[in-house]
Amino acid sequence: MNELEDIKLKAFLQNMELEKPGSGFTVQVMNKIFAEDSALEQIKSEKILGKGFWIISILFVVLLAAIFVVSNTGMQADSQIGQLLPEAGQGLSEGYESFFSKLGTLPLSIAGITIGVSVLIFIDKIISSNSKIFA
Amino acid sequence: MEQKDDIYYIEKVKAGQTNYFSYIVERYQDIVFSIAMKVLKNREDAEEMAQESFIKAYKSLHTFKGTAKFSTWLYRITYNNCISEVRKRKMHFASTDDVQIADEAEEMNLDGIPEENRAQAIKAAMDKLPEDEYTLILLYYFEEQSIEEISKVTKLSESNTKVKLFRARKKLYTILNELMKDELYTIL
Repeated sequence: MNELEDIKLKAFLQNMELEKPGSGFTVQVMNKIFAEDSALEQIKSEKILGKGFWIISILFVVLLAAIFVVSNTGMQADSQIGQLLPEAGQGLSEGYESFFSKLGTLPLSIAGITIGVSVLIFIDKIISSNSKIFA
Repeated sequence: MEQKDDIYYIEKVKAGQTNYFSYIVERYQDIVFSIAMKVLKNREDAEEMAQESFIKAYKSLHTFKGTAKFSTWLYRITYNNCISEVRKRKMHFASTDDVQIADEAEEMNLDGIPEENRAQAIKAAMDKLPEDEYTLILLYYFEEQSIEEISKVTKLSESNTKVKLFRARKKLYTILNELMKDELYTIL
């Protein structure tokens, strides 16, 4: 194929009419772009660590403090009761210990559930935020 | 209005003036749509794919460094998008030799085609080309892209692009020859 034919073909092809999209094509593209932009802005302005997360975290810290206080009080009370009531029966002492040991596991369980829930909420929040950004 | 080059609009968009992207869309919508239309063979799907290509280009505009032509970069996005869609839908992407290349194809006399029929004839011939060859011809002759640029769009090596382009050109000549013969029979 010679160069002249190539030039002719080029000129020839430039006469060709391309396929045209619908009349509102540019507007549709721009609307989609603006919609994506505003969605992205909204995600950026939305705090990943929302109010709920902080409430759960504070609750968790309070519960941890409560466990610490209750367990310390229990130990002190345990030692004090022996001094105060030397004649008290062993049954009372055991009952007292068992009550506090049972009571002691309750805040621990609540704390466990709370921390589990807060971690799950936190992970869910991060995943949903990222999926919006990368979609 | 004075036509500015692509970089001017891209810089504006990068600076936060999103509106300027509409100039880019206006400039390239026909060619992007034509490629999508050729591959997907359906107006609605092609329009959706073309829109998606522009949105993808907008989103990745920060990665465009300006070392290559913007059009090359945009066509690559479009071409890849279309190929992925075809694969997703398990459609046939025609790159086979559906048209037998005649020996005399190289001797086609383009001047023999009446001027008033040229646009129609070339469109009819282009429509008969397989998707990949259509894209090669469109980019090389219509968009005046270089072999290097086309190889970036199609992810073919430069030598492979050259060979494919040569074959596509011969095939186009064959189709045009046949079309002209048919036309002559109709006239006679």
